Amino acid sequence: MRIEKCYFCSGPVYPGHGVMFVRNDCKSFRFCRSKCHKNFKKKRNPRKTRWTKAFRKASGKELTVDNSLEFEKRRNIPVKYNRELWDKTVEAMKRVEEIKRKRQAKFIMNRLKKGKVLEKEEAIQEVKKNIHLIKAPHAGKAKQMEDKMVQKLQEDIDMGDEDI
Amino acid sequence: MKSKPELVARKGWSGFKVSTMGKSKQTGNHKSDKKKNISKTWKTKRRTKDLDQIHSDMKPETAAKLLHQEVDFDVTGCAQHYCLHCARYFVDMKALKEHFKTKVHKKRLKQLREEPYTQAEAERAAGMGSYIPPKIIEVKTQPVEEDMD
Repeated sequence: MRIEKCYFCSGPVYPGHGVMFVRNDCKSFRFCRSKCHKNFKKKRNPRKTRWTKAFRKASGKELTVDNSLEFEKRRNIPVKYNRELWDKTVEAMKRVEEIKRKRQAKFIMNRLKKGKVLEKEEAIQEVKKNIHLIKAPHAGKAKQMEDKMVQKLQEDIDMGDEDI
Repeated sequence: MKSKPELVARKGWSGFKVSTMGKSKQTGNHKSDKKKNISKTWKTKRRTKDLDQIHSDMKPETAAKLLHQEVDFDVTGCAQHYCLHCARYFVDMKALKEHFKTKVHKKRLKQLREEPYTQAEAERAAGMGSYIPPKIIEVKTQPVEEDMD
């Protein structure tokens, strides 16, 4: 007995669950639930359907290339039961799963970091672009204004002198 | 004050959605008989060829066999005018040539450019092995034979 993987969403298909579709060229497809089966019937591409594992891997949302992903495999050669080996395997599975989870979580966190940087950049750019909305037109130009005023006064006085 | 809603959206307020649904993909004639019963066309009973089947059809030996079929009176155009990529029979050469110019055919060629999805890929996506990106294959419309008789 084996836990198969769904053709469409890559989820586990436990014994007694889901549907198997056998195409007229003898190729079989397993589906975990009717949702996946229906989508297959509508000829949707799992790589383009956003909720599937295939999409998440294809578009770089999840950890794709890693050694921790190489342990789980379809092994077609039966192994004779050996208690020691069994114990060791179970321990190893736990450890591998732990490492895998950590790496996957780290990958996602690293991926999200880029968005933060972009967000900050964008915010700075926006403030720079619209600075005139928050800054008064003559703010920080007091000295300049004073000079201008003095100049104007001087000119007026000169003009007055000429009139007399 | 134009920039205000954007600022609100950026603060992590998740209610701001930018059209994730998109418009309907249905194009062309909405009233054709084919589109009246889409649920029927999705039945496995009426299942048409899948992309991976067409990919195996595109191998030279099977392609040659499909393009030079024997006369079969039950099939459209006596099975003489077949479009390999769309898996469709046409009445005559003219109709087939017209078909090559259509959007449907060009769209199909584009879809076929990518290596077909397999169960192996589904398993890899589920964590059984590392991800291998699909190969891009050059797909061209089948050459048209000009018979002068």
